Amino acid sequence: MQVADIATLLVNSLTWAMATFLVAAGLTLVFGTLHILNFSHGGFFMIGAYLAYSLANAIGGSPSIGVYLFGSLVAGVFVALLGLVVDRLVLRRLAGVEDAYVLIATYALLLVCEGSTKLIWGLNYHSVMPPAVLDGAWLVGNAVLPRLSLFIIAAGVVVFALLEYFLNRTKPGRLVKAIAADPWMAQLLGVNVRLVYTATVALGFALAGLAGGLLVSNQTLSPTLASAFVIQAFGVIIIGGMGSISGAFLGSILLGIIDAFGQWALPGLPGLPFFLAMTLILLLRPQGLMGKAKH
Amino acid sequence: MSGVLLEATALDKSYGRIRVLRDVNLTIGAGESHVVIGPNGAGKTTLFKVLTGELFADGGAVRFEGQDVTRLPAHRRVHLGFGRTFQVAKVFPRLRVQDNLLVALEARVRRANPLGRVPKARADTFPEAIEALLNDTGFGQQREAIAGTLAYGDRKRLEMAMVLALEPAVMFLDEPTAGMSAAERQATVRLLQSVKRKRGLSMLMTEHDMAVVFGLADRISVLHYGQLIATGTPEEIRHNERVKEVYLGDGDEHA
Amino acid sequence: MQNTSFIGCGFRRDVLILAVVMGLALCVPGVLNRGLVFIAGMIWINAVFGLSFNLLFGLSGVLSFGQAMFFAAGAYATAVLTQHFALPLVPALLLSAVFGGALAALVGSVALRRSEGVYFAILTLAFAELIHLLIANTALLGRNDGLAGLVRPRLGIGSWQVDLAAGDNFYYFIVGACGLLILFIRWIVDTPFGRALQAVKQDPERAEFLGIPVRMHRLAIFVLAGATTAAAGALVAPWAQIVTPELAHWSNSTNPILYTLLCGSAYFWGPVLGAVVLSAVFYVTRTLVGMSDMVTGVLLLVVVVSLPGGILGLLARSTRREDKR
Repeated sequence: MQVADIATLLVNSLTWAMATFLVAAGLTLVFGTLHILNFSHGGFFMIGAYLAYSLANAIGGSPSIGVYLFGSLVAGVFVALLGLVVDRLVLRRLAGVEDAYVLIATYALLLVCEGSTKLIWGLNYHSVMPPAVLDGAWLVGNAVLPRLSLFIIAAGVVVFALLEYFLNRTKPGRLVKAIAADPWMAQLLGVNVRLVYTATVALGFALAGLAGGLLVSNQTLSPTLASAFVIQAFGVIIIGGMGSISGAFLGSILLGIIDAFGQWALPGLPGLPFFLAMTLILLLRPQGLMGKAKH
Repeated sequence: MSGVLLEATALDKSYGRIRVLRDVNLTIGAGESHVVIGPNGAGKTTLFKVLTGELFADGGAVRFEGQDVTRLPAHRRVHLGFGRTFQVAKVFPRLRVQDNLLVALEARVRRANPLGRVPKARADTFPEAIEALLNDTGFGQQREAIAGTLAYGDRKRLEMAMVLALEPAVMFLDEPTAGMSAAERQATVRLLQSVKRKRGLSMLMTEHDMAVVFGLADRISVLHYGQLIATGTPEEIRHNERVKEVYLGDGDEHA
Repeated sequence: MQNTSFIGCGFRRDVLILAVVMGLALCVPGVLNRGLVFIAGMIWINAVFGLSFNLLFGLSGVLSFGQAMFFAAGAYATAVLTQHFALPLVPALLLSAVFGGALAALVGSVALRRSEGVYFAILTLAFAELIHLLIANTALLGRNDGLAGLVRPRLGIGSWQVDLAAGDNFYYFIVGACGLLILFIRWIVDTPFGRALQAVKQDPERAEFLGIPVRMHRLAIFVLAGATTAAAGALVAPWAQIVTPELAHWSNSTNPILYTLLCGSAYFWGPVLGAVVLSAVFYVTRTLVGMSDMVTGVLLLVVVVSLPGGILGLLARSTRREDKR
């Protein structure tokens, strides 16, 4: 295997990893704080992507990098607003409900996302051209490094850095972490826990929408986008440890490498290494890489 | 009282770095009623969990009728003759009282086989057995009531009846009179005494109420910071210097 | 607390209901067109699928998001056995059920070892996707196109022969076969095993301390549910005459969850009614793309958030209120 091939594999791993992390970040944030596993997160990611697509379509042709990023932000904001509605109508009412039913309720929400996507945008495949600046690839020696992939990798790292900074170095962020650890205590100390929950949900959904916008040129858009990313995101946060952002980051890198190298080794069975890895880790270390074991 | 039924030797248990049980030795004889007392946090519940199989000891051994059960899972110990009631009575809340007992009776026959069958001859004895259990525990007319709707005292009695349905050799009772009024407490003591008399079973219980303890105990063990500091008859314990130090030194236990 | 209708709802009454429903079902080909008869057959199959899921969820408290893997296993097994090995129908169906059970034994013994609750649900999802991937990438199973052109064979012992390909004969066969499966599932509920499962669901610790081996019980019901699910899937092969990897897709795993929750998991007939209602919904919304997802999603949300007992639960509460007047 040549260096160029390794470079390509690495880039593929990291692109998959960062794309998945972008989707999984909001999911794990909401789970870590509200302890709700939001099945529909992939659906809102999809809606974000379609929104960005509509925006790009309205402008026509290949968007500039500015428009691309702007579209992602718009998608993020819009989906965050949707998140507020969902929080009000659904998530709040799931407070005392058993885990199994919460999972089912959020799955129902995913169906609503998929249904509305099909109704609004139809079943046809759509795609968005990447901005000119991100099109094509850099040639480093023998290796071909697609610019879009590098952008996605950069985006993932930036989002991770911002999230870690927010959660660990800012007051509101640390508040979120405190509430995640002990909501009862926080309430006792006079914190408006409900408000923080709502804000966290909004942030989680914003991340989903943002991810949709940032990744819109990475794949073709179809209503099956949600299902594809849901499982990937689940796998990553389970492996990383539910509720841990850094766990999700590490987990996605690990799975990205396993997936890319697995595809190179076993080309006939796409996705198999991912599932094997996910299953193995769930069995050997159910709390994930960074999670806490329950005793 | 012939022979030792249950024997725990040198039991050690830690949660992380905290040693909850240190070198605990305990024996229970056939037909003996043995009470473990000690301040909160002394390790009584952990001792229970280790003896009944809810947790496994880090060190030491538990033997039942000579057999080593230290690493035997809880349900297998039940098959050997263990019965357990919980501090907050556990019953099956959405089944009727009589069905709670039916499940217990069937479990005794089916044991470790999920698909085990209950022979018809055996199954025919169940309605009578249920009746008898309800009478023994003073249940009255509530066989059709849904267990979750029962008053607290009745739930405790139902739980007792369920465990008795297993015809255990030794019963583990975790604070059997917790949360009860004085009258209820007396009724429970009478019930336990009659059960012990009628069935000759051994009992190990934890208790805080001294009247109950001295009313029921053949022998008492005192647990303090995970260590057994004294074992003996109630009289011996009452006069034990170390125990007095621990109890009177730490303040009065609520009577 | 709501009384679970699993105990004491009357085995005889349910058998009567089953007989009546079967009787009605047998009249269907006389009144409805071919297309609707096909859907009626699928409703029976999906009813068994839903009931199997509820053996796990409503009876035993085990949530599996991967039941589609057993459904597909049964379908593909029958397809291969009747097509490649020219096995007669009934042995093929039985073998498919056994195959489903065996697969469940494998998955269950691994998944139930460490996992419970949400982790178990996601693990079953992962396993099912694994199976989905394997099917979609196996040449012998037709890859993404699946296996088509499956025949409806003849059924017979000795001189008595029925050609199931003729007229509505296979529909009658489905009604009969599903009726038997439903009877079997109903029977399980009333056995000591069924009662022990309810106990395990309501308080696993109490059950363990009565001597009930909780993990073994969960494994046993997982295997049984896998077998009956595979049996239902097996009927799809000759009925739809095509099997595709879609059968193993996780959206198929969620169908029985929908049927069950819509009408109430505490009621034996919940999944059956749910299968009927949702099939009607899917049929009515089939032309407007995305509508069925919307309607199903909204219905399910409403049920979980405000109608925890499902439609049957709502009915039960309103009749109880009537009684009180």
